Amino acid sequence: MKVSLKWLSEYVEVPADLKAFCDRLDLTGTGVEGVEVAGATFDKVVVGQIVEKKAHPDSDHMWVCQVNVGQNNVGEDGNPEPLQIVCGAQNFNENDKIPVAMVGAEFGDFKIKKSKLRGVVSNGMNCSERELGLGSDHDGIMILPADAPIGMPFADYMQLSDKILDLEITPNRPDCLSMKGMAREVGAMYERDFTDPLNDPIFNLGENQDLEPTADAVSVTISDPARCDRYTARVIENVKIGPSPDWLAERIIAAGARPINNIVDATNYILFLFGQPLHAFDFDKLKNAEGKAHIVVRPAEEGEKLVTLDGEERDLTPDMTVIATPERAVALAGVMGGLDSEVTDETTTVLLEAATFSRAHTSRTSRNLGLISESSLRYERGVDDNPIAALSDAAAALIAEISGGTVRPGIVDVWEQQTEAVMLDFRIPRFNAMMGAHIERDYIIETLKRLGCAVTIADIETSKAADCAEGELLHVLAPTFRPDLEREIDLYEEVLRLYGMDRIEPTLPAGAGRIGKRTLAEQRIEKINDTLRASGLNETVTYSFAEPGDLDKLRMDKTDLGMPVELLNPLNAEQSIMRQSIIPGLLHSLAYNQSHGVKNVQLYETGRVFFAADGKKKPKEKERVAAVMAGAMGDPAWNASPAAFDFFDGKGVIENLLRELATPKVRFKALSAEEAPHLQPGRAAQVLSGGTVLGWVGEIHPLAVDAFDANAPVVAFELDLDALVKTSQPARDYVDVPLFPAVTMDIALVVDEDVTNEKLIQVMTSAGGKLLSSIQLFDVYRDADRLGAGKKSMAYALEYRSPEKTLTTEEVNKQHERLIKKVCGATGAEVRS
Amino acid sequence: MSVIDEVTALQAATLAEIAAAATTDELEAIRIKVVGKSGSLTGYLRSMNQVAPEERAEVGKTVNIARNQIESALEAQKKALAGAELEARMQADALDITLPGRAQQMGTRHLINRITDEIAEVFMGIGYSVATGPEVETDYYNFEALNAPADHPSRSMQDTFYVRDLSGDTTNVKGESDVLLRTQTSGVQVHAMEDQELPIYIIAPGKVYRRDVADPSHLPQFNQIEGLVVDKGITFGDLKGTLDYFCKQMFGEERKTRFRAHYFPFTEPSAEVDVSCGICHGEGCRFCKGTGWLEILGCGMVDPNVLRYSGIDPEVYSGFAFGVGVERVACLKYNVPDLRMLLEGDMRFLRQF
Repeated sequence: MKVSLKWLSEYVEVPADLKAFCDRLDLTGTGVEGVEVAGATFDKVVVGQIVEKKAHPDSDHMWVCQVNVGQNNVGEDGNPEPLQIVCGAQNFNENDKIPVAMVGAEFGDFKIKKSKLRGVVSNGMNCSERELGLGSDHDGIMILPADAPIGMPFADYMQLSDKILDLEITPNRPDCLSMKGMAREVGAMYERDFTDPLNDPIFNLGENQDLEPTADAVSVTISDPARCDRYTARVIENVKIGPSPDWLAERIIAAGARPINNIVDATNYILFLFGQPLHAFDFDKLKNAEGKAHIVVRPAEEGEKLVTLDGEERDLTPDMTVIATPERAVALAGVMGGLDSEVTDETTTVLLEAATFSRAHTSRTSRNLGLISESSLRYERGVDDNPIAALSDAAAALIAEISGGTVRPGIVDVWEQQTEAVMLDFRIPRFNAMMGAHIERDYIIETLKRLGCAVTIADIETSKAADCAEGELLHVLAPTFRPDLEREIDLYEEVLRLYGMDRIEPTLPAGAGRIGKRTLAEQRIEKINDTLRASGLNETVTYSFAEPGDLDKLRMDKTDLGMPVELLNPLNAEQSIMRQSIIPGLLHSLAYNQSHGVKNVQLYETGRVFFAADGKKKPKEKERVAAVMAGAMGDPAWNASPAAFDFFDGKGVIENLLRELATPKVRFKALSAEEAPHLQPGRAAQVLSGGTVLGWVGEIHPLAVDAFDANAPVVAFELDLDALVKTSQPARDYVDVPLFPAVTMDIALVVDEDVTNEKLIQVMTSAGGKLLSSIQLFDVYRDADRLGAGKKSMAYALEYRSPEKTLTTEEVNKQHERLIKKVCGATGAEVRS
Repeated sequence: MSVIDEVTALQAATLAEIAAAATTDELEAIRIKVVGKSGSLTGYLRSMNQVAPEERAEVGKTVNIARNQIESALEAQKKALAGAELEARMQADALDITLPGRAQQMGTRHLINRITDEIAEVFMGIGYSVATGPEVETDYYNFEALNAPADHPSRSMQDTFYVRDLSGDTTNVKGESDVLLRTQTSGVQVHAMEDQELPIYIIAPGKVYRRDVADPSHLPQFNQIEGLVVDKGITFGDLKGTLDYFCKQMFGEERKTRFRAHYFPFTEPSAEVDVSCGICHGEGCRFCKGTGWLEILGCGMVDPNVLRYSGIDPEVYSGFAFGVGVERVACLKYNVPDLRMLLEGDMRFLRQF
């Protein structure tokens, strides 16, 4: 909402200190989003006074003047020092007040500079009306009234400039979408009276009683009263369409609109001044063969079309309301008029609509058509039906005044439902208790009255019934232009915001015995984050949005992923669904890094993935943790050469994680190409805790990496956070620290490639008996010449220990030999010597 | 030469050798040669039976004195030499300690989550617990139960992402839906009031979505932290005191807060809170656009309709709610110039924090 301060100050005194005024607006709930200066500004032109006038030593018609411009020119002591100005005009005397253009002032291309006129320094110019563009008088300097304040900017003194505030009016305050409402608000802010603009004599209506009464020419039917509380029509004849007078055009511009013609501008003026949308029809386009207009307010028909004022053809639905003649729709109620009934240069008779339409229907119509107008904005917030006839009168008077028209007697007024003012209680003790304040009754009453409420103090009996002492209960009649004042709390807010929230003493809630804590799940998630970071991964966040083809690009099996959550109004195709996996987002980030020369990338993210299902309103949301790793943990350094990432780096991170979570029965199960098509075959594993699948780890399939424009190899994992939390254990059990020494025996087993580490450990564990306390793989070695093709050597350090005694060599050897025999038998291994 | 003279001469020669020895190895050689098992001095003791009985006491005494003197000389010299050798070795082992250390890379926390953690800590310290809610919400939890019924003008304050409703329900407005991406974490308030026992003191961090094209100061996906208190006797002063404490904890004790009246459908009275600019201390500068204040959060007293929706009697209980934009804090505290960096995953950005 744009508010011209010049215009506003016609109705209420506006504080001179603009910054303080804006601050007060901000603090009381009217956000100031900007201030623009409009009109002539005359920078560097100020009010001055001639303190000395002497003849120019070298000219017989010029004068050397000393001109006091107040604080605009000061000496070293900070006191005003007159400017010396050489002037050729003859009409002024010492002590005259005049407009002075100081050095730097500009008039079109002409700029005032310090100069010498016939050898005498001149620091500016005494201005004539013509030089200022204010008139044609070129004969002499413009002489200002004697009380003009010295030093004041000339434009301010003459009120030539205007400040336009761009105000953020919150949706609960339709009343503030008008100059009258803002005048009332400013009045309440400063405890000042304001003048009702309706008192302007221009709104005094003179009907021509000789003309046919309006009711004889116009009839109105509201077919669905739920959509229109009140509809009025007036007719103005013999109008002459033309441009608006300057004062009106200026105000229309100041309000941020464009002047169109005198009729439209007059309706817009009422809109901006009182917040009442109006529409002017060309009466002749509505009337039937008998010269009468029958207006019907009705739901649009399915498939009905209307060309609106902006030239767009609109497809209407029955949820929208139209203003129609019996033949056709002529306007979209509350939103925009129709093109073929608009006022044109040929119009001679105007039918003026002043009405109110349903908030919800207006809002939906506006959203369905993507059409927001000054009208729809006000109707969807609520327009008061009570003053409509008075405002229609005011508009008719204005139209008649500026278009030369005459107003037919009477108004057609169909008032289906009158909004009644609401009576509310105001319990002062409760108000003060809830605000934590001690605000006096007098202030409360004064404030509510200034906002337009009628306030009375309840009698003793009623007060007692409301748990209030005598005089502490108010009855407040909320005005109908404030649809937001429906409940007692709404009044509390009004008093508090005007009293000033800053004046309330800050306190802390007194409730005792609260303990702030994290849930178990949150503690686990914190641990997961800590462990991943300790493993060298960097947390990132990517978009929850995804592109429909992302999973195909990743080659991921979609069998168990349900349907994607689809956005109806995405910003773009790349972000039109919700992600079903975090990996594509991380691969995009990986590609971003690689394309920016960052080779070593270790990223992880925890976040939600979304799975929709047919027939279900809401999707399943699952928390995941995922990571991608490419390059190495760092660049080669003087004392370290980090190895390039492979499968085992991903697996190692998960091993750390599951150790920290004390996850039981952890197992990594190889995934086949069919089971995990997005992973490189042979470098893919499922992560399990007992029978619970936690997720997967592997190297992303090189073709998938390519599809995301990243460089392979990429190690990745994606785990289900809920499953991690569920399977995690609070703590591991204590195990005795060994008391007796261990005997370590190394063994190298040559086996076929398909014999896994897991298998060998299984067999050794079961064969090693109670004495075998640890198995550590320390070497894997392949050599076709020495070991044979398809063979590998697996070297383990086996530790034998008894919790009861120091073992003898014989005891260890016996157990070790038994183990070797069993391992060889079960796996076909040969012991390599 | 008598045996005694021989021993005396050996003693003198050995002491001289010891004094001349340059390394501990040489000393060891001397020790073996003279006082070792088959050393020359040891030999005299071994061959004592060949010494005339009347001289034995004298010879024995002389040999023992020589042995003691040699051994203590050896010991003393060894100490001296070992010290020097250790010195020399350490000198040789000296490092350029400005070379970088050997460390396992530590990962980093994302800035937004780091700030979220920080905020959560502040509120847990004053007795709040953490709650969460779904990101895909129904209209009811995002709007209606928050006192913004269908077609309420306040809904247009936020541009909503609508989701295809697979239940078959339809809406009156083309392109809208009963299912949506939450535009605010405030829906968690409703879940909490439905599910939790009173009193309630919670914060609810989480992602929210609004249909804003990504640019340096907007993201279609960002983070909020919702706060909700419902208890007996909660006042607007309590809301002020709580947020004042929060701002001081987050931004510094010297920072001031300012409450500007505002409008949110689910709180009344409502306010926006500014914190004084940390750069100009309220004087007005470019960072705060000349106002001296930086907008930091929205808040208010829980609207009685919202309490009633969840079956709480507003005559008995009152409460307050607030919502902090985490990205906003990131901008104010860390001067992040372009919010899009928060979602790019650029390692050079992530590893700064």
